[in-house]
Amino acid sequence: MKPMLTLLEELTNAFGPSGNEEAVRSLILSYIQDYARCEVDALGNIIAYKTGKKRPQKHLMLDAHMDEVGMIVTSILPNGMLRFAPIGGITTEALIGKRVTFGEMEGVIGCVPIHLLPADEKNKLPAYDKLLIDIGADSEQQAARWVQPGAVCTFKNEFLTFGEHRIQAKALDDRAGCAILIDMIRRKQPYDMTFTFTVREEVGLLGAKTAAFQVAPDAALVLETTTAADIAGVAAQQQVCALGKGTVISFMDHATLYDSHYYHHAFEVAARHAIPCQAKRAVAGGNNAGAIHASRGGIPTLALSLPCRYLHSAACVIDEDDLQATAELAQTLACSICAGELDSGHNGC
Amino acid sequence: MDYQAVLAFLSASFGKELVDYIVKFMPKQAVCSVSPLGNLYVVFLGQTDRTILIDAHMDEVHLLVTGVDEDGFVHVDRCGGVDTRILPGCAVTLWGQKPLYGIFCNMPPHLKNGNQDEVLPCNQMGIDIGLTKEQADLLVQPGDTVTFRHQITTLQQGRIAAKSMDNRAGIAALLRLSQLLTMDRLPPVTVVLQFSVLEETSGRFAGAVTGGFYHQPTEALVVDASFDQYPASSYATPGALGKGAMIGFSPILSNRISNRLRQIAQEQQLPFTEEVLGGRTGTNADGLCSVAAGIPTGLISYPIRNMHTPVEVVDPVDLETVAQLLFAYVMEGGVTQ
Repeated sequence: MKPMLTLLEELTNAFGPSGNEEAVRSLILSYIQDYARCEVDALGNIIAYKTGKKRPQKHLMLDAHMDEVGMIVTSILPNGMLRFAPIGGITTEALIGKRVTFGEMEGVIGCVPIHLLPADEKNKLPAYDKLLIDIGADSEQQAARWVQPGAVCTFKNEFLTFGEHRIQAKALDDRAGCAILIDMIRRKQPYDMTFTFTVREEVGLLGAKTAAFQVAPDAALVLETTTAADIAGVAAQQQVCALGKGTVISFMDHATLYDSHYYHHAFEVAARHAIPCQAKRAVAGGNNAGAIHASRGGIPTLALSLPCRYLHSAACVIDEDDLQATAELAQTLACSICAGELDSGHNGC
Repeated sequence: MDYQAVLAFLSASFGKELVDYIVKFMPKQAVCSVSPLGNLYVVFLGQTDRTILIDAHMDEVHLLVTGVDEDGFVHVDRCGGVDTRILPGCAVTLWGQKPLYGIFCNMPPHLKNGNQDEVLPCNQMGIDIGLTKEQADLLVQPGDTVTFRHQITTLQQGRIAAKSMDNRAGIAALLRLSQLLTMDRLPPVTVVLQFSVLEETSGRFAGAVTGGFYHQPTEALVVDASFDQYPASSYATPGALGKGAMIGFSPILSNRISNRLRQIAQEQQLPFTEEVLGGRTGTNADGLCSVAAGIPTGLISYPIRNMHTPVEVVDPVDLETVAQLLFAYVMEGGVTQ
């Protein structure tokens, strides 16, 4: 059994901004292809059909997205620096003064030195379009040797553990979800289940939409990360969720109003198995559940998330205990749904 | 000299480790000593006692711990002009009882309430080290040093981006100079390499001026970082990565030294640009020029990008040029005969 942390380190180090998930896909296939029947569809989603001991009452789809946020080069300036657009939502703060990687090549996102700014600009972040990637070229012709418009990069960062069982890495959103699903596929499962590792979540939930259409499940579980704002300077009631307090179960976000039977059932299952969990205390963010629940004739869907600080930045932070809790809850809730313990309370059509 | 390897080590180290590295690098005939404030002096005896002082500051901008809050977040204040815009989400090392990894908190966008471009003052930010207050208090106390985390990014054309290139790149140029000084004949003058402290923080350049007082040189040259042209800036500078040394011209510097440096660069076909200022230079030169009865002072800079951030970019070509220019200058004996 590959230890979860090793898996997570390999996954987060892989290069995979939305639309460019090849490296992550190959890596995941290498982990799971001996344990499930795998297909790769037209957009690059992995659909993995896992045979369990029994046929389930409900066909369950478990989803995690392979892509990460990143940047795409829009043009090359005469001085050899690169203009870019974000892939997914990234703030100026998260970009300025950070390192990026194109896979092989590296760069940095710099800024006009603070010493040279007029007084009224010294305490403000630069406008987004003033951010440029420096790869060390001096002219457009020179830069064109190494990069073209359309080239894609992401944050450069190394995986490491720190403090009390905390993990920092890039792309924990959503390689953490991927790690949990990979771990489930590599184990014997009591029921048949379908696992999807989807593309292009960060640019409109596109992979999940098409995967759900193909899989046509009776129910879905999305494994994700969600914003934990339990950090310095944020009042308790604004924190959304907290590290170390267990899996986050959401009743609503900007993409989905979750089925309330599923929502409450998840807490019951967690309580039954003494798995720590917490409610997401804000309507914020969104994930693949948004696309999945509205697929075909409708699919009851729930999201289980790891609380994650500094989402969509170079250094996201999660807690090992929460990773463990979410893996356990995903397994037990999946079995519960497959066993038919849950009825969404709406008539089937 | 393998600039990338040397710069990587210089970037990572500070304090005693840095001093030890420089001392170890120096040739046997150089005489090393440390001043009461912590300057490192390396003396190369020449054919005469007349002394040229070459200064490069050894300190870097960083942060100091002010305390730990109830939730275990570490609070800091600036020691020197750290660019606070880059701090959110910035990885740091806390040098407490042992080195600790930390990350500056950054606020999720939906909580910023429309102040999207606001930059918090440094002392209102917190550093996440993943510990409770009780755990943190055992390892961290007020006054502890916090630096940007050491990470080297390799760019094209041999350039690197790293923390503290201001002024470790200048130190690298002086290390290279020390190699050149022992290759051939004794220089006509005694050369003192002064690795000074307290440049980034002391408004009175306490490190550099006390060294100037102690050595009583007849002239001084300062090596420090200056600005590369950045496209989004309206500030016009001739300095550019790869275009060589930036020779300083200013009313507070010695015109004779500045002109002679330029002539040497032209004669030896060393790439250079002129950095022209109307007064103070923002370097140790501002202090050295008026030490005791006054010291004619020159300034040679190298361009960097992103000053005072963890991704300061330098080009080894420029540093080699600085070293060669200094070498040619001292082997002539300077201008104050």
